[in-house]
Amino acid sequence: MAWFICLVIFLLCSNYGHCTTRNASKTIEHTVDNSFEKIRSGKTCFIYFGNRVNPTISLFIEQLEKSADALEDYGISVAKVNCTIEHVAKYCTGEKLMKKAYLFRGGDVLKSFDTDTVFDVNAIVSHVLFTVLFDEVRYVHTADELQAVERAAKGKADIVLGHVQVLGLPEHRALMETAFVYGAKYQFVLTTGGPVLKNMGVGDPWSLAAGLWFLHCKGAFQSQHTEPCPHTALRRPLTTLHIYTFLQLMEAPLVTEAFVEPSEVKVVHSHLQVPLLFLFSQPNTVALDRVTAQTLASRLRGQVGLVLIHRESPDVKTPVEYNAAYKLPGKASEVKYLTLNNLEEVVDLFRDERVLKEEVEEDEEDEVGENDYWATLDVLDDEVAESVYRDRGQTLNMDALTELTADRFHSAVAASEHMVVLFYVKWDAVSMAFMQSYIEVSISLEAADVSNMELAVVDCGEWTDICDAQQISSFPTVRLYRPQEPPQTYRGMLGTEGLTRFLMLSRVVSPVVLSCPDEVASFLEGDLYQQHAAVSPVSVLGLFSSTADPGVSVLKEAANALRGETIVGVFADKQAERWAVEYSVELPAILVSRGPEGLMEAHPLHLSTPNQLVTHIQKALLDCFPELTVENLPQYLGLKKPLLLLFVGVEEMERKENRRALQEMRSLLNSGRLIPYLPCWIHLGRTPAGKAVLEAYLGSMPLLPALVLSQLSTGGEIFHYPAGSPLMEQPILHWLQMVEGGNELPAGVIGKDKWEPPVPFYDFLAVMDQEVPGYASQRSPKTKMRPSERDDKEEAEKNRRGIHGNADRRVRAGAHKPQESTMTKPPAPHHHTEL
Amino acid sequence: MDFPLLIFFAFLVMVVHGFPEDYHIHNSTRHHDYCVLGAGPAGLQMGYFLSKSQRDYIILERNSGPGSFFSIYPRHRKLISINKIYTGRQNREFNLRHDWNSLLSDRPDLLFQRVSQELYPDADSFPIYLSMYVKELGLKVQYGVDIGKIRASESESPRGRGYILVDQHGLDYTCSVLLVSTGMWDPQKVQFEGSDLVEGYESIPLNPEEYKDQAVLILGKGNSAFETAQSILGRASRIHLYSPSPVRLAWQTHYVGDLRAVNNELLDTYQLKSLDGLVEGGLEDIAIKRRGQFYLTLAELLEHPDGKNSTKITAANLPVYHNDNFSLRQPYDRVIRCLGFRFNFSIFDGSARPPSSEVTRGRLPGLTAWYEGQGTPGLFVLGTASHSRDYRSSAGGFIHGFRYTVRAVHRVLEQRYHSNYWPSIKLSVSQLQSWLLRRVNEASGPYQMFGVLGDIILLRGSHCEYLEEFPIQALPQFSSLSGHRVSKHGLLVLILQYGLNPTDSLGPGRAESEWTRAWRSNFLHPVLYYYDTLPSEKDLRHRPAGWPLPRPKAVHHMVEDFLTEWDGPISHSQPLRRFLEHCLHTDLRAFYAESCFRFSLTNRKPPLFCRQGYLRKHGVVGNSHLWQHAREAGLMPSEQEYASPDVDPSFPDYLTRAGASVSSAINVDF
Repeated sequence: MAWFICLVIFLLCSNYGHCTTRNASKTIEHTVDNSFEKIRSGKTCFIYFGNRVNPTISLFIEQLEKSADALEDYGISVAKVNCTIEHVAKYCTGEKLMKKAYLFRGGDVLKSFDTDTVFDVNAIVSHVLFTVLFDEVRYVHTADELQAVERAAKGKADIVLGHVQVLGLPEHRALMETAFVYGAKYQFVLTTGGPVLKNMGVGDPWSLAAGLWFLHCKGAFQSQHTEPCPHTALRRPLTTLHIYTFLQLMEAPLVTEAFVEPSEVKVVHSHLQVPLLFLFSQPNTVALDRVTAQTLASRLRGQVGLVLIHRESPDVKTPVEYNAAYKLPGKASEVKYLTLNNLEEVVDLFRDERVLKEEVEEDEEDEVGENDYWATLDVLDDEVAESVYRDRGQTLNMDALTELTADRFHSAVAASEHMVVLFYVKWDAVSMAFMQSYIEVSISLEAADVSNMELAVVDCGEWTDICDAQQISSFPTVRLYRPQEPPQTYRGMLGTEGLTRFLMLSRVVSPVVLSCPDEVASFLEGDLYQQHAAVSPVSVLGLFSSTADPGVSVLKEAANALRGETIVGVFADKQAERWAVEYSVELPAILVSRGPEGLMEAHPLHLSTPNQLVTHIQKALLDCFPELTVENLPQYLGLKKPLLLLFVGVEEMERKENRRALQEMRSLLNSGRLIPYLPCWIHLGRTPAGKAVLEAYLGSMPLLPALVLSQLSTGGEIFHYPAGSPLMEQPILHWLQMVEGGNELPAGVIGKDKWEPPVPFYDFLAVMDQEVPGYASQRSPKTKMRPSERDDKEEAEKNRRGIHGNADRRVRAGAHKPQESTMTKPPAPHHHTEL
Repeated sequence: MDFPLLIFFAFLVMVVHGFPEDYHIHNSTRHHDYCVLGAGPAGLQMGYFLSKSQRDYIILERNSGPGSFFSIYPRHRKLISINKIYTGRQNREFNLRHDWNSLLSDRPDLLFQRVSQELYPDADSFPIYLSMYVKELGLKVQYGVDIGKIRASESESPRGRGYILVDQHGLDYTCSVLLVSTGMWDPQKVQFEGSDLVEGYESIPLNPEEYKDQAVLILGKGNSAFETAQSILGRASRIHLYSPSPVRLAWQTHYVGDLRAVNNELLDTYQLKSLDGLVEGGLEDIAIKRRGQFYLTLAELLEHPDGKNSTKITAANLPVYHNDNFSLRQPYDRVIRCLGFRFNFSIFDGSARPPSSEVTRGRLPGLTAWYEGQGTPGLFVLGTASHSRDYRSSAGGFIHGFRYTVRAVHRVLEQRYHSNYWPSIKLSVSQLQSWLLRRVNEASGPYQMFGVLGDIILLRGSHCEYLEEFPIQALPQFSSLSGHRVSKHGLLVLILQYGLNPTDSLGPGRAESEWTRAWRSNFLHPVLYYYDTLPSEKDLRHRPAGWPLPRPKAVHHMVEDFLTEWDGPISHSQPLRRFLEHCLHTDLRAFYAESCFRFSLTNRKPPLFCRQGYLRKHGVVGNSHLWQHAREAGLMPSEQEYASPDVDPSFPDYLTRAGASVSSAINVDF
C-alpha cells in the first residue's frame, strides 16, 4: 500500500532540477515523475491533496508554501498534489479531501492533520516536528509523569521542559525546532500547563502562556530519586534565539575567574548578549569570595554571567571602594562600577525591571518607542509658552514704551499724570504674551490721542530692587501711578481691550462729584455719559440727602476702588430726593444707569464698609440676561447659578429664529420665573469657543439656536431643550419644571477633572538609581562598605598610591624618603595647610 | 544630664519673655542684649542687621579701627577675592555674585567698588571700606576694648544664661547673646625638632631683595605659601614647598580657599624645571638642623642608639647619606612656615568655650548648623571662624559667603528672641515657577553659599510660603528656627551645587548641556529637593555620600548653564514646571482666556492657572497672532473647529438697545 502511494507521489524537494517550482517556493506541485525511490529511502514529507481552490484553501496553500522553506532545514519536504490533474486514490477521494494534510515517512502515514490545526506556518512546523520527534520529546501532563522522566534522566542528561498553553503557536515551534537540534543532548519534555507548572514554582499556571525550564538532572545523584532536579527558568520570551542562548548559558561554567580589568574580560556570555556581573576578590578572602560568587551565580543563572576578578593582579586597576561591576550586553555598553552591601542587592539589580528592559530593548532593537516618549519631553505643551516661543524670531517693538530703570523710576512716576507700569520678567511666557497686548494698548492710546498717560515697563530680571520695593510678587503686574495717590494695581483681564478700557476710565476722576440737578441729568444721560459710553455703557450714581451723610465718604472710597471699572458719580444734596421719588427708593441710594434708552435701576444703600459697597456695586453692574463672552464669563460664574444658556448661530437663515428666541427669553425673564437661574446667551460668531462648549455639552452640534441648562456649580448635569420644541415662553417653563422635577434625562454631565500633570516628570532619582546604583541611596548606619565621603576619598587616595607601587615607603636604612608625589608615610589625608 | 535641661530652661525663659525690660537699665553697667566681638567684616555685617532691627547691641574691637587683620594680612597686600565691577548687568543682587568684598546693606552704593576698582584689590582698601561702612550706617563700635576672658553667667536672673566679657582693664561687659567674630589670628604651628629655627609668614621680611640668591624652603602649599613664593620668585635661587598634601587648585576643586590661579606662578617654574618645586611629606616627623645653612632631615635619623639626641650633626643624620637622590638634600638659607591660622580658643573660659571641630583638625570651633557653639547656647560664631560648617567645600569662611550666613543667624535670633518669623513671601502656586526662575537667575546668597544656604518653599495647596537662604543642615530644626510650620503638602528646597563627580576641569565632556542629564552637571547649577515631611536629623546624617541633603521624594537638577542664565523654555522652564507639577500633583500649564473660558464652562473645576487667573477676572487674553501659533502647535482648537466669525452686524445694536451686558458693548467691533 505504502509502496503504491509513494509511487504516485513525487517528493523531490532536494532536487529542484526535477521540479516545477512555483513562485520560487519549495512546495512542489506534483507532476508525474518517477523518483519514488527517494520516498522509499525514508524521506519525510508533508503533503496536501486538493482539487479546487477557495479563499480559505488559498490562504492555507500560501502558508504551506512558506513552511516548505522552514521544514527543508529539517530534511522534510512539503508538497501539494492537484487531484484534478493527478488523481491519487484514497487521498484524492472522500469527504475529508480538501481538509486534510498528511505526513509521510518512509511511505507510511505518520499522522494526518486537519487544515484547521495546521493553519499557518508556525502551526505546520511545530506540528510536523512534534510528530517527527515523537520519540524524543516526551509529553507530560501530571507531576508524576514529570517525576518519572526526571528519575530516568538523573545522572544521564539534563531536561528541557517546555510549556505552551496552545499547540501550534510560535513558542511551540521554537521549542520543537530547538528539540530537533538538541534532542540528542537533552531530554525534551512538553507540557500544556496545569499541575506540572506548579512544581516549577508558577503560582498561576493559567496566566503563563509559555515558559521553559532547564532541569539540572545530569549532575544530580540517582540515589536521591525522590528529590526533583534543581531547575533554572528562562526569563525571556520563547524564541529559538533565546532558547539557544539559554542552553548555551546552562553549559557555560557558573563562575569564570579573571585577572584583568572588567572591560578586558572575554567570556562566552559576551557573545550571548547576556549582562556580565563582576565581583572583585581580595587575595586573603579568595575562598570565601568563590563561595559567594557560586551562590550568586546559581541564583542568577541564565540571566547573568558571573566573573570573579582577582584584585591582586597588577592588571586590575579598579578603585578599591568598588566591590562589583556590571556590563550590559552590546559593544557600546560601558562597565558600571558599584559598591554592594549584600547579595540581595545584586539579585535585585538584575531582577530589576529596568535593567532587564534595557536588555530586551537592545535585543529587539525596539528603542523607537522609548525615544519617541523622551522626544516629546522637549516639545512645549503649554499653549502660552509655545506660542511665545514660536514668536521668538519676532522682535517686539517697544519704542512706544518707556523702559524704566532704578535711577529714573521715581522721577518718571512723579512726573507723569498717569504712569502705567508693567512689571515683567523675560522668562515668564505669560509676561511676554501680555507684552504684545501692552504694546497694542500703547498704540491704541496714541491713536486715541490720549496725552496725559505714559506707558512704561520695568524688567524685574534686571531692576530687581524696584520690583522688591514695589512688592511685586506676581508677573506680569500692571500698576497705575498718579502723583500723590497710592498706586492702583490693575486686576482686570490681561488683554488689549480690558486694559484700554481700564485706562480710559481711569482718567475720569472717581467719584465725579455733582453739585446741581443739571449735572446729575448730564451725568446720567448727557455729555459726560456720551464721552465714555464706548468704554462704559453703565454708570453708577450715589444719591445722598446731605454731604453730612456718613455714606458719602464710604461711597467715595468705594468709587476710588472702582476707578477704571466704571464711572461713579455722587450727588449729596436735598434735591437728591427728586430722583428718590422718581425711582421710588429711600435715600441714600444708588442709581445704575444703562444709558439714555436703557433701564434705570435703583438700589437702596445700607452697607457699612467700602469693600461691601464695592461688591454691591459690582453685582448691580451685572446684566440680568448677559451675552457671555470670554472676557465677562468669570463675573457671571461668580454667581454660582445654573446657566440657562442659549447658543445662537451666525448663519443667515438662523437670524430671525435667533432674534425671536432671545425675545422669548427676555419676556420669560421679565416674568420673574427664572430667578434660580442665570439666563444668558452665547453668540457663536463673536465667541467661537462657545462651539466647543456646546459640543462638549451635547456630544455633537445641535440645530441652532439651542437652549441648554448647565448645572455647572451643582451636579454638573447638562439638559438640552428638545430640539423640535419651539423656543417659546410656556414650553421652556414647562421644560424647566420637568427638569426640576427630575423628569428629564440629562444630555450629558460635566466632569470634574483633577488636572493631573499632563506629562510625567523626568525622574532623576530613578535615572540615578539605574545608572549609578547606590549613588542616591541613604547611607545605612551599619554598613562599612559605604563609609562617609571623606573615607571614600581616603580609600581612593590609598588606592592611587597603591597603583604607583609605593605602598611601603620605608627605606631599608630606616630613613623616610620624601619625594615628589610620594609620601613619607600615609599622612592624615586632609591635613589642610591653608585656609 | 542636668546641663541640657538647663539649656532648655534658659531657652524657654528667653522665648517666653524675650528680653525683659529691666535689661536695658543695665546699659550703664555695660550690659547689652547683643555683644559682637570683633569689628571685622563678619562683626560689622552682624552690626548692620542688629542696627536695622533696632536691637541693643555693641561691637567690641580691640584695635583702633575696623578690619585690622587686613592691615597686616595678606602680607604681600593683594586681596585675592574677586572685585568684578563690570558684569554687563544692572541687577544689584546678581552683581553681588561677582563682588566678593562688599558687605550687605540696603544702600545701593555702599559697595567695595567705591574704594577700589581693581579686580584683585590692594589689602589697604579693605579697612577703608569697612570704616566707610561703619560710618555711613552709624554702627555702634567700641574700639580699644581687648576682651581677654569670656565666661558664661549661669545666673538665676530672668535673663537666663548670658556671657560676661572682661577687657584689658578688668571691666565687665555682660551680654545675653554673644556673637563671636574674632576671625583667625593665631598662626598654625607644628612642633618638630628645629621648629624654632623657622620663620613665620606673619613676620617674614617683605622686600624680595632680602632673599637674593637664597634657597628657601616653605612649609605649606596654600595661598599664603604660594603668595610668599611668588613674591620672591625673581630673587630666590630655589624655592621648595613642603607639606603633607598635594596642592589643590581652586579652579579644579571649586573651593576658593584652595590655591588660586592668581598666586600660582610657581607651578610654572616647577613644571618648566626652573629650580622650584613641590614635595609631599609629613610635617611632624621632620627636623630642621643648622649646619651653617638649614638642613631638612627626619626626626628618626637623629635618634642615637643610646636614646639621647646629640646636638652635633653627622653625615649619617642626613637623609642623603642613606638615599643619594633624596629630593630635599640641599641645604636652605631660610625655612618659612605658611600654614595658615587657627581660632583663638584661649579667651574662652571652660563654661563658654565651644568645642574644637574635628573636620578642621581642631583649628576651628564646632558649631550647630545655625552657627551656635555646640554646648554654648546664646554664643554664636560668625565669619571666618564659622567655617567648620562648610570647611573646604563652600564659601562660609570668606566674606562673600559669611555675609549671608550672618544674615541667616540674625534671622534665627529674631525668631528665637523676638518671635519674628523668618521673613517669607506668600505666592500663589501658579507664580512659583517664575519666582524660582527669578531666584536661580539672580540670588547671590545660594550662589555663593552653594550647598549650605537654600531657599525653602513651604507648599500649602494653592499657595506657598517662600523663605530665602535658610541653612539647610538645620532643616530638622526648621520649625523652631524659622517659626514656620510645614504642612502636609511638604516642602521644596532650592539650592545651588557643583557637580558631585568632578572630572577633568578643562577636559572634554566637562559640561553637560542635555537637560535630561542635568544631574551629571559639573558646574554650579540649581537643584530642587522635594520632601513630603521635614527630614529628620537621622535622615540628614545618613544622606547619600557627597549629598548636601538626604534622599528626597523627588529631585530636579536644572542643567548647568554656560552663562548661568537658567531661562530657556525647553531646557530649563518646562522641565522645572513638570517637576513642580509632580510635587504639587497638578497641571501648572498656562492657558489663554479663551481656553479657560472653555474649561470653565465644561469642567466643574478648571485648571489651576484658570482658577487663579481667569476666574478671578485676570485671565491672559493674548492676541490672534499668538493664538495662531498655539493653534498651529495643536495646543488650541483650530479655527475650523469653530463656526465662521462672520458676524451679523444688526445683532449688537439690537441687544444694546435692549440693555445688554457691559462687555457686549466692547464686542461691537468684532
